[in-house]
Amino acid sequence: MFRIGVQTQNVINDRYPEEGFAVLARAGFSYADFSLNAYLDNGSIYQSNINSFFDQTVSDLENFFTPHKSAAKNAGIRIGQMHMPYPIFIPGGDQEINDYLWHEVAVKSLRICAFLECPYIVVHGFKLAGYLGTEEREWERTEAFLHFIAPQAKELGITICMENLYDSVGGHLVEGSGCDARKAAERIDRFNEAYRAQVLGFCFDTGHANLVGLDFEDFIVTLGHRLKVLHIHDNDGIGDLHQIPYTFSRARENKASTDWEGFLRGLGRIHYDKVLSFETAPVLTAFPERMRADVLGFIARLGEYFSGRIYDFS
Amino acid sequence: MQVCYSSRGLLDLSRPEKSLENMVRAGFEEIMLDLSMFYAKGHFELYGENSFAPDRTELKERYEKWMRCCSKDAVRMNLIRAPHMKWDTKRVDLHPLMLRIGQECIAHSGKGDKKQLIIQPLYAGLSGAEIWKENRRYYEELGKAAVEKNVCILLENQCNSINGHLVRGVCADASTASAWIDELNEAFGKEVFGFCLDTGACSLCGQNMGEMAAALGHRLKAVLLRECDGVHEASRLPFTGKNECGMSTDWQSLIRGLRRTTFDGTLIMAAGDTLGGFSHLLRQKMYPVIKAVAEYFRWQIEMEKTIGKYPAIVLFGAGNMCRNYMQFYGKEYPPLFACDNDAGLWGTRVCGLEVRSPEVLRKLPSEYAVVICNTFYTETAEQLQTMGIKNIETYNDEYLPEGFFYQ
Repeated sequence: MFRIGVQTQNVINDRYPEEGFAVLARAGFSYADFSLNAYLDNGSIYQSNINSFFDQTVSDLENFFTPHKSAAKNAGIRIGQMHMPYPIFIPGGDQEINDYLWHEVAVKSLRICAFLECPYIVVHGFKLAGYLGTEEREWERTEAFLHFIAPQAKELGITICMENLYDSVGGHLVEGSGCDARKAAERIDRFNEAYRAQVLGFCFDTGHANLVGLDFEDFIVTLGHRLKVLHIHDNDGIGDLHQIPYTFSRARENKASTDWEGFLRGLGRIHYDKVLSFETAPVLTAFPERMRADVLGFIARLGEYFSGRIYDFS
Repeated sequence: MQVCYSSRGLLDLSRPEKSLENMVRAGFEEIMLDLSMFYAKGHFELYGENSFAPDRTELKERYEKWMRCCSKDAVRMNLIRAPHMKWDTKRVDLHPLMLRIGQECIAHSGKGDKKQLIIQPLYAGLSGAEIWKENRRYYEELGKAAVEKNVCILLENQCNSINGHLVRGVCADASTASAWIDELNEAFGKEVFGFCLDTGACSLCGQNMGEMAAALGHRLKAVLLRECDGVHEASRLPFTGKNECGMSTDWQSLIRGLRRTTFDGTLIMAAGDTLGGFSHLLRQKMYPVIKAVAEYFRWQIEMEKTIGKYPAIVLFGAGNMCRNYMQFYGKEYPPLFACDNDAGLWGTRVCGLEVRSPEVLRKLPSEYAVVICNTFYTETAEQLQTMGIKNIETYNDEYLPEGFFYQ
């Protein structure tokens, strides 16, 4: 069976991490997607309102996360992936803040990732196509950032994973960076060849893909072995809702309006053998708190179902 | 670049005379005949059943009436769109029928100028490798008839319905579509196939239309311009999708992409749902607006090409738009100098460009152009016409190759 993971956000309390990891373990998870991004909220970053969390020294940060590390270990949960705070570049933002995001936030995120013995860190590419005019020029900026962190990632044995993103045009969510699987595959190969290491991989986000109508199966098959981690969640195709798969339907037949069959078939076809990780933290605030354990348990059961179906398609 | 109007937007098929007259009066000289207009939505779903209608005689009558009206108004019809199935069709058995319809469309495409025929790819019931296999067979059959009739077949990007949610379907990926077209053209040894980009389908799938246009490049022969909210199918007039967050369709990206490819095909205006929203008493007032939007697209897309066609240019206006021109186009299309009506600016320099009195334009060689670089287009054009300037062009900074603040 596949290893099944879920976000730590809305489950792990910094003051009592033991409790949260135990809840995850009881629910049936063996892996966690550590929500490092929760420590520097993206809305605040866009407003250039950066908190002081990453001002701490690496040693202080390691001390801060030591209870989390031991709590996960004690619960038998491995931190399999984490999310770097995003954005890591504010378009038109203050140079000082952008420097801080690269030199402090990104660099320290990698150190925390290594400290938690996490092999994959998910990063967001820059959303600059509208400003720079072309996707290629947008990639150049993202690439410069990746080159900035890649040597450190290589040294720490971490694979940086780019994610397919969306952007907003008048409130309509449209494709953002990382939505062209062919380009992503070519870029990852070029990067890894240059560094002679698996410094770059891909994180397929089902929710983002659904928002911009990507062909799940084709995308996954094109990525193939470059696909390292997943963000599994669902939405109505309009908003980035991060809900449980199979939640949404559009027609009277009430069948799922997200292509879960294509997703599972794609994973089966590439013989995906990594973690099935759910990015469904908002579900936990949507349901009453007393149902949290049940909801987590249901998500884990869904992971088991996915697991079986992927084997069928392999 | 040609501009035409989609016949689907004419609405009243039983009495097309008035609509066509309004269209022609607004300045449209060409129409795209969308043959789907002769069918009710979902007709193909009922094919083979007793309720399938209309019958061939009725169809023929409607078609012939239509053709008579177009001919009376001297409307050109070089672009036709074949009937197509619903994106959520349940009929996986109609591929032979679609082939027959495609062949009939080619056979009846008419004489005279080279015709373009939009024929959507097959998708019902197909998956994986069989999509290309089946479509290759389909287009090769159609291609044979197209070669004989001197018709260019345009493929079109499709949506796929996942239980009502429209996502990217066949030919939505530009690199795949390009590979299909190249392979088909190679098989025929000449350009028999091209592409029509449906902006509505792109919008429904959140696609970056500019990147798609750029990737299709020379294969792109037509663009179906229509606005929708990105969730529901609609054919609304571009720029009518504004809400409190902004424009819901990324026209900037499309214009940039079409400029990059130096697009020289046909812009098809599909605004039937906008038109249909108005009372028939108001509709005739909408046609000039639709035409104006079409011309605006043409002007924006061709702006660089227009400036580049002259041996030399002079900018009229030495303000912000002039600075802006120099920043984005000054290197590629350097002007000789700038003019301005403000005498206080004469003899000064803007971005290294000397500012002179408009009077010097009287000595400008006739093959050179004056590019109006301020927002007083009408007034400045009148001034220049009075001075006897022949080549007057307008520059605009609404859709620049990139945003402002990245120097």
